[in-house]
Amino acid sequence: MLALGLVARWVHLATSIFLVGGSVMIVMAGQSDRPTARRWEQRTLAATRALAVVALASGLVVLSLQTALFEGRVAAALDLAAIARVVVETQAGHVWLVRFGLLVLLAAFLLLRLSVDRRVDWRAARGEGVLLGAAALLPIAAAVEPGTARAIALDALHVVAAGVWVGGLVPLALLLRAAATSEGSDARPYAVLAARRFSRVALGAFAILAVTGALLATVHVGSVAGLVGTRYGRLLLAKLLFLALALLLAMVNRSVLLARLGGDGATVGRPAMRRLSGFVVAEACLALAILGVVAALGVTPPARHDAPVWPFAIRLSTTALEGASAAATRALIGSQIAVLGLAGLVAAATLRSRMLPLGALGLVALGAGAGLALPPLAIDAYPTTYLRPSVPYQAASVASGAALYRESCVACHGARGAGDGPAGLNLPRPPADLRAPHTAQHTAGDLYWWLTNGIPAAGMPGFGARLSEDQRWDLINFLRALSAGDAARGMGTAVEPDRRWLVAPDFAFAVGPTPPRSLKEYRGRVVLLVLYQLPESRPRMSQIAGREGTLAMLGVEVIAVPTDADRDAIRRLGDDPRVLFPVVTDGAEAIVATYRLFAAAPHAEFLIDRQGYVRTIARSRGQAAEMEPLLAQIQELNQERVPVEPPPEEHVH
Amino acid sequence: MQAWKAVVLFNLALVVGAGWGYAFWGVRAARLERELAAARATALSGVEREWTVEGVVRAIFPELNVLVITHGEINEFMPAMTMGFRVASPKIQEAVSVGDAVRFTVRGVPPNVAVIAIQKITR
Repeated sequence: MLALGLVARWVHLATSIFLVGGSVMIVMAGQSDRPTARRWEQRTLAATRALAVVALASGLVVLSLQTALFEGRVAAALDLAAIARVVVETQAGHVWLVRFGLLVLLAAFLLLRLSVDRRVDWRAARGEGVLLGAAALLPIAAAVEPGTARAIALDALHVVAAGVWVGGLVPLALLLRAAATSEGSDARPYAVLAARRFSRVALGAFAILAVTGALLATVHVGSVAGLVGTRYGRLLLAKLLFLALALLLAMVNRSVLLARLGGDGATVGRPAMRRLSGFVVAEACLALAILGVVAALGVTPPARHDAPVWPFAIRLSTTALEGASAAATRALIGSQIAVLGLAGLVAAATLRSRMLPLGALGLVALGAGAGLALPPLAIDAYPTTYLRPSVPYQAASVASGAALYRESCVACHGARGAGDGPAGLNLPRPPADLRAPHTAQHTAGDLYWWLTNGIPAAGMPGFGARLSEDQRWDLINFLRALSAGDAARGMGTAVEPDRRWLVAPDFAFAVGPTPPRSLKEYRGRVVLLVLYQLPESRPRMSQIAGREGTLAMLGVEVIAVPTDADRDAIRRLGDDPRVLFPVVTDGAEAIVATYRLFAAAPHAEFLIDRQGYVRTIARSRGQAAEMEPLLAQIQELNQERVPVEPPPEEHVH
Repeated sequence: MQAWKAVVLFNLALVVGAGWGYAFWGVRAARLERELAAARATALSGVEREWTVEGVVRAIFPELNVLVITHGEINEFMPAMTMGFRVASPKIQEAVSVGDAVRFTVRGVPPNVAVIAIQKITR
């Protein structure tokens, strides 16, 4: 089923592409009165007719298989009612409808026997073939993900350029072959001209393909890990490999063989023409292989939505240089030598004279520079290094991670993560200090690998068998909060302008029987998160409740969390003064367990800015204090220019 | 047949097809939008309606006959929020105190509604 779908997609794509290329090639070659040229034109036209029918038939097969996929049953592929439903009710179906409409129109046009002896008629008829073929190709782009106008436009350009380059190859080869025979000598100047024109146009099409392809790859892959670590990325690499080979062939054709076709009359080089025709066929075969890869890409989830498996034992990152000045100097010097080498290579490629020595020098400098610069950048890496956490950085996850930490990690790593647990004394290597800033140099995926497989040389056991995947991510989220909490000790009650670094972990909470809400829903507003305990916090809570009008006027949302997680917290706060802001009665345990890592005081107030970063922390025993400084900080946040950078991510870096 | 005439015909077919398709889907989308607007209007027109929702009592103003309740979403009327509701009779307020989780019924022509029944729930 999958293989059939793949083949059908391949055939459909290839025929659609060749349809455009055939028409474009005829237009590029132009009208001719030479018998051989006319025979070639007729044969190419006949081929496009057949291709249009094959494209329609293979499109129907793809549609029926897609229907089976949508309906989740194999029999639906042959169920006309089901296919009709897909066509009428889904967006993919509408696109198919448009495609089939255009293909039918194209086939009908190609089947018409038109007289094209007059120049204007010839131009109109052949131009229409190109127009309809390109139009039928365009809807392929409508299926691209994500469906932004930019991505669709890029994809449309990409397929049309592919049509011009790939589709023109086979007709060109046929023309060259026909002209290379002794009876086809009348069409040789025509064929040479056509080959020159095609070469020029194909170069432009290739440039468009490269640019749009690179831009689309950033959309669909987005990272080096996605390129080498996912199936989509590897397919893309295979495509690039085939493309590089095809480009190499095209360069040889253009620079060596095309030049040998020169000269006029019937005496131009027949062997060169025959060899060129063979090379063009080889290029077309590579192009077919590329289209096969494209068909496979179409049924593979884009790398961006896949979990990458890093295939190498190291990765390169500049974070390796932090605090290592000798290595940084070495990397800097090496990179500059490499840039010089690159410049030498560019010079060698553009200058005709002294190409060899310049190129060799550039290559040596590039290699030496890379050899000098890259080793200090290397960091150990594991298959899971670029794995994204499957559990978001939320209070509930941090809290359960904290519980797991107390069960499994405390003995060696110590209660605060300092690596000072009693059981760690006898290990081959002292346990890591989990609060240290160097944890920022390791990705969440690194931590996941160590948690899962352990570090045998250091005596760290693996927990892959004991803890579930989610539990391991919970632990990693806890470690992130622990490390952030250590850094948060320095945060005080004054907003530091434009310094956002402490992400407020998201949390879910409910007030009474109302449906749960989350902190994330408050993005765009300043939030005052109050962790209080009664009776000590009574004076402060009364003060906040008394100024609720002012706080509301400043646009602040207050969320109060009882540290004892009392489900009757609202009743206990009472009605003098009246408390109207949300008081958490469900979910308080997780919030307290998480935010206490940032402030261990009995009463703590966190001011969270509009983008979800904690900006001030006030720690106290709950006594009353001046409200004005707090209001001033809120006003500070309100007046702060909000940068357009994306909000904090829910996962560890 | 002369080729240029055929080409003109085919281009005409292309344009008519595209125009027809656009008009068909466009007209259908416009109709759906109108129907949606009409349905919304009838739902919210001056008809007396009644909702029962859950919430928690936050404050009581006996002199105003007002209960402040943090409540969940009231379908087609208002999102979850904390707000004051008029009570139909003072007895309703006397039955509850601050901090009670309640299920209450409001009735009226939006936005003029009042609490007509309230009962404590245990969670």
